[in-house]
Amino acid sequence: MNLSSLAFSPVAEQFLAEPEWLLEADGLSVVGGPAEAPSAVLSDLSFRLAAGRTLGLVGESGAGKSMIGRVLARQLPAGFRVGGGQLRFAGEDLLSLPAERHRQSLGSRIAFIPQEPMGALNPVLTIGRQLIEHLQRLGTPAAACRERAIELLEQVCLPRPATLLGHYPFELSGGMCQRVMIAMAFAGRPQLVVSDEATTALDVSSQAHIVRLLRELQEQYATAVLFVTHDMGLATHACDDVLVLYAGQIMESGPAKSLFRRTLHPYTRALREAIPALEGPLLPLRALAGQMPGVESFAQIKGCRFAGRCEQATQVCHDGVAPLESVGPQHQVRCWNLAAASERQAQPEATAHEPGRAMSAQQSLVAKGLSKTWPGRRQGFRRAPGVAALKPLDLSIAPGEFIGIVGESGSGKSTLARLIMGLERQSTGVISLNGEMLGDSRDDWTRRIASIQMIFQDATAALNPRWRIGRLLTQSMLSQPRLHSERQARAAELAADVGLAASTLKRYPSQLSGGQRQRVNIGRSLCDTPQILVADEIVSGLDVSVQAQVMNLLLELRRQHKISLLLISHDLGVVRYLCSRVLVLHQGELVEQGETERVLAHPQHPYTRALIAAVPSLDPDAQWPPAAFPQMDVTP
Amino acid sequence: MTALSVSLGRRTLARPGLLFGAGFLLLLTLLALAAPWLAPHDPNEQDLLNVLLPPLWATGGSLDYPLGTDALGQCVLSRLLYGARVVVIIMAIAPLGAALIGCLLALLGGYFGGWLDWLVERFVDLWLSFPAVLLALILMVALSPGVQNVILAIVFVDWARFCRVLRAEVLLLRRRSYVAASRIGGAGALGIIWRDILPGLLPTLIVLMAMEFSIAVVAESVLSFAGMSAAPQVPTWGGMIADGMGSLYSSPYPLLLPVFCMILTVLAATFLGQGLREAVDVRLLERAGAA
Repeated sequence: MNLSSLAFSPVAEQFLAEPEWLLEADGLSVVGGPAEAPSAVLSDLSFRLAAGRTLGLVGESGAGKSMIGRVLARQLPAGFRVGGGQLRFAGEDLLSLPAERHRQSLGSRIAFIPQEPMGALNPVLTIGRQLIEHLQRLGTPAAACRERAIELLEQVCLPRPATLLGHYPFELSGGMCQRVMIAMAFAGRPQLVVSDEATTALDVSSQAHIVRLLRELQEQYATAVLFVTHDMGLATHACDDVLVLYAGQIMESGPAKSLFRRTLHPYTRALREAIPALEGPLLPLRALAGQMPGVESFAQIKGCRFAGRCEQATQVCHDGVAPLESVGPQHQVRCWNLAAASERQAQPEATAHEPGRAMSAQQSLVAKGLSKTWPGRRQGFRRAPGVAALKPLDLSIAPGEFIGIVGESGSGKSTLARLIMGLERQSTGVISLNGEMLGDSRDDWTRRIASIQMIFQDATAALNPRWRIGRLLTQSMLSQPRLHSERQARAAELAADVGLAASTLKRYPSQLSGGQRQRVNIGRSLCDTPQILVADEIVSGLDVSVQAQVMNLLLELRRQHKISLLLISHDLGVVRYLCSRVLVLHQGELVEQGETERVLAHPQHPYTRALIAAVPSLDPDAQWPPAAFPQMDVTP
Repeated sequence: MTALSVSLGRRTLARPGLLFGAGFLLLLTLLALAAPWLAPHDPNEQDLLNVLLPPLWATGGSLDYPLGTDALGQCVLSRLLYGARVVVIIMAIAPLGAALIGCLLALLGGYFGGWLDWLVERFVDLWLSFPAVLLALILMVALSPGVQNVILAIVFVDWARFCRVLRAEVLLLRRRSYVAASRIGGAGALGIIWRDILPGLLPTLIVLMAMEFSIAVVAESVLSFAGMSAAPQVPTWGGMIADGMGSLYSSPYPLLLPVFCMILTVLAATFLGQGLREAVDVRLLERAGAA
């Protein structure tokens, strides 16, 4: 019997069809919208994932990354359905599997790790109760559940697992909750784990721990992982293979390290150029103009969905969709102008970038011995000792100076911001503005809000949902009746300043995108042309291309209005790009401060060193997560 | 174009429940206003020759008494129409009064906090620990019968519910970033309450008001059923139910018709509240085609 005749027997066909692929998608598409004019949220998606490997899905919000997980779980949002193609899991057609069989395979064979661990755990049940419930559903005998639960928590390196079982989710940190979720996901020894932005809500050091933990468990059980992330640095190190998605299309795919070593698609490259690096020369970020088209406009785009924002787009790009072309070992790119694209890579970047330095030797704001202690809980007639959110620190800001404040959650960063703004009253210390002390009087408050303004962390929460954008932008003129007639003109001016279209002035915040809302937030703080802006994590929730736009906007405003900025951030890359000086906070204490470049290049304090090491490097050859890495997040 | 450019009026019209609720209550108001002209008889006029007549559509009904007569030979239709006047007046005023007092105290306590909040909360606790119907009955005994006193009794009993729910909402709203944003925008306490907190309370307030419409109608009926509502000569739906009890087995209509009217009114009030909340709440406007 020769080989060709073998190929026709069904048994042989199974063998020849590479049975080692655990998850196979073939021309998968998800469509939404009305039946007569459907638009594909995912179009023609093909990939293969083998056992024990990690496939990264990278892209900005709205790219359709999470849709694949939702197809697997059969949890597509209302109005969306699978439009065609195949999805095979361990040789079975997952799309046509009967509902009951599909349900059984969820949890036992396919497990999910959610983005918000706190939200995924029931707040009124103990960790133990939830773990044991899950184990019982997986078929563990009731008597063995508790022991197995302890074993699972040990496996994810949680300290004192037996006592932890009696704790409630709110008593644990975000990183610990995520470990519990991972323990749950791996409880049934699944073949496939879908991690949807599992580390996005966590601090960098927790992120490094979680990724390493995921890797270890994966090696132990030969689990395949579908790793959804928007973080290119993370994808470089946490994934074996990567799919770069844009508006539901694969733009580039290949092995993670080689793909990021030699990015070819203009979109992938633009994403890389929009991320501020932690090492190497400081270059101006090239912000990608515009934003990703919305789902409703997908149907009208005939050609490449990226063409509208692509610098190299030609007529052919708008006419038709390019095929995925192989350009290297397993490296595929979807672009008509590959030749032009690889040429541009050779161009050297021109000017060096300059972060926000002080424009004068005078100090506009000086804080001395600033601290905040929250009163302890009342116990009968006594009070427990207070909790020090911020230990005394000194701070001064000069005109035009951008100062970064970094640290993990709970380090007192936001407390400092609120103290400077005056939203909380300091326990000790004094703040003086332009040489005059700031007290509690009405005049001092007026003086304070005229010179200091705050940009809030969550742009959605900071904008009154019932006001239109025009009114929000000029909110501070509301209390000054003499200025009311100028409000419309000022709103238009501010909108132009922060790059918002005039048509947005008539809209409500819920009708804008995340980036636009953040611009409104920034624009509002500029209304009275303050000297100092206090910005609390203002770019952390944004996509990288939008983040770059917002950062460049801040630098532009500095040039025009000589504003200074106190930037609270956990992203060291952002701080390096914007700030000339940096303060490192750890558990309410200032542990290091100095010139940003010097602190990042030669960190003195061990905490600063750990913080820097935890950031996933953009360099594919770097080692991440670092081998020797201090434990930081496991103390409850 | 989707919800983007749709005005409040258009959003209102798009909801059949709201239209039904508003339509019915409007109709009820008009009928109540026009009662003297519409009613075929004086509501207290007794026709002892024609007692317990069935309505028009049943056998033995007469055009003279379209909805029949009760045990005293009074026209049921006329009594229903005049009874609607009491219902409409109470529905219009009692919820407003309760909302006003409850909202005011909730804002004072919730926004300013401290001892003021403690005081308001304890007062509400105290108030809610009385059984509502009993409190109302005692109040009605202390006051004298009369529509204005019924309103007073309902307001006095029900403001605490408003206060409790709204205070919790104020506490939540006060911590929102946009309130902090208003503060650093130079707004004073009154400005923040007026522009940020009150509009945020509106959806909850409307739901509470709609609930209070129904509760007021039912409460008035309970009081008049017990004979402690408006003056004895004023016909009320609750009083009609009480009168109808006696002749339930010989003729159920004098009992069933006011019950039916009450059910419809309560239902309409509920639909109106639900629809209004959806129409007023701009948070429910989605960004068109959000991915």
